[in-house]
Amino acid sequence: MDYLINLIIFSLIYVLLAGGFNISFGLGRLLNLSHVAGYAIGAYTTALLSTDYQFGFFSCLILSGIFSMLFSLIIGAISLRLSDDYFAIGSLSFSFVISALLINWKSLTRGVLGIPGIPRPDIFTFSISDNLNFLIVLSIAVFLSLFFLNSVFKGPLGRSLKAQGEYSHALEALGVSSFKIRMYSFIISSFFAGISGCFFALYLSYIDPSSFSLSEMVFVLTIVIIGQPGSLLGSSLASFFLVFLPESLRFIELDPGILGPMRQLIYAVILFSTVYTRKASLFPIKRTV
Amino acid sequence: MLSVKNIHFAIGEAAILNGLEMSGKDGERIGIIGPNGSGKTTFFNCVSGFITPQKGEINFNGHSVIGTSPSKRASLGIGRVFQNFGIFRDMTVKENILIALESRDQNNLLSFKVSKEHLDEIDSLLNLVGLNKHLNSKAGSLSGGQLRLLEIIRLVAFRAKVYLLDEPTAGVSPKMKGQIVETLKNLIPKEALVLIIEHDISFMKDLCERIVVFDGGKCVLDGSFEEVRSDTRLQEIYFGTTN
Repeated sequence: MDYLINLIIFSLIYVLLAGGFNISFGLGRLLNLSHVAGYAIGAYTTALLSTDYQFGFFSCLILSGIFSMLFSLIIGAISLRLSDDYFAIGSLSFSFVISALLINWKSLTRGVLGIPGIPRPDIFTFSISDNLNFLIVLSIAVFLSLFFLNSVFKGPLGRSLKAQGEYSHALEALGVSSFKIRMYSFIISSFFAGISGCFFALYLSYIDPSSFSLSEMVFVLTIVIIGQPGSLLGSSLASFFLVFLPESLRFIELDPGILGPMRQLIYAVILFSTVYTRKASLFPIKRTV
Repeated sequence: MLSVKNIHFAIGEAAILNGLEMSGKDGERIGIIGPNGSGKTTFFNCVSGFITPQKGEINFNGHSVIGTSPSKRASLGIGRVFQNFGIFRDMTVKENILIALESRDQNNLLSFKVSKEHLDEIDSLLNLVGLNKHLNSKAGSLSGGQLRLLEIIRLVAFRAKVYLLDEPTAGVSPKMKGQIVETLKNLIPKEALVLIIEHDISFMKDLCERIVVFDGGKCVLDGSFEEVRSDTRLQEIYFGTTN
């Protein structure tokens, strides 16, 4: 049972993380490769505030989202002025900056040693130290988040984002600033990266920089691509699918030396075949004036 | 009132606009013709803000718009129909118009509900051009002529004050051309300034009281339809001869 709860918790954390990424990439086709950096900022914010300053659950959750949003404001102001491929490269470089800071700013992050012993603060009188209780709280947070995200997807911001992903000049010609729309999506997206980082840190009670590497970014990208960019239901189901899928390998008698690479290989094959079959819709040709 | 003075735009050594001067008053319908490469679309790109001329002035209602973004110019009322269709094909017909309405009314981007007024407005506009049965269809499934109609009524919904129409009948059937002419005549408010780029001068006859001819990045002829058509320089511009 604990094993199943563990998998569901990880799946739900990815539902949140990929749901946020789905706003910028799924709707606006903004390949924001610094999304996991926002996740890291959320996780470290929670880790530091709850261990060093004994902050409560809600303070950690909200501040994780806010710090991640502030980070997105800085990188968005710079990299969102770049277009398409250049934006992806720009955002990736910021991701590396955060990664380098996590490793080298040892007085704050303890570098590669990571931060152990992150407590799970009670929510008023409700203890989340038990995994089942943690799952209940996470499920409520995911439900509320999906409700909000769904409203964004179907509202004016979602429409404008979708339009700018298809033909930004035509959107500008209707009086909508592409930069502003991208910035909003970037900020909202980062907020959800931040709060998923908070849940990740509280659940594992230990974080280090290796959890926020480029391969984690590729995993989130895989979730959104498999789930169909722009589909919240799709990315949510894909989160469960991709978390549970490699677990089936546990029941096959394989050498541990093969098992690890085998998981990566499965993800790679799935990602490649999905991109290959849907390449026209995933990366449509950009139209210009 | 739109006025353009001494506009220069070049890509490397190649001058596209070469001291172009032109102005238009509210309510005027102006046809723009000229051979390929004469700078017609570049002129529209300069006016709508997608490119910035290296020299010259663009004034709208007495204020310079040079240096302002395309979205800012659009919100001032400078609307555009694109040569290569400015429709969002992956979105429904309804959503295409809704974006214009929400932008016009500066709706809160995080509002969750589509207003009934907007739905009614979309319905009545689509009825006027016979696209109402396509309300929830993907715009990409419409024919070329229907896409043009949709793009024009989207600008009408946006309540543009200036209509920059870049070849609105390119690639559409003769029957649909007639419908586009009727739509332009009947749906665009009388007080709006309309600038239409077209290769087919006969299309302009019913529509435009003034024709300007571009050549070499300049406005070389300016007059009524009859004046321009009978001017021997027109043949010279297009065919390099007056015979």
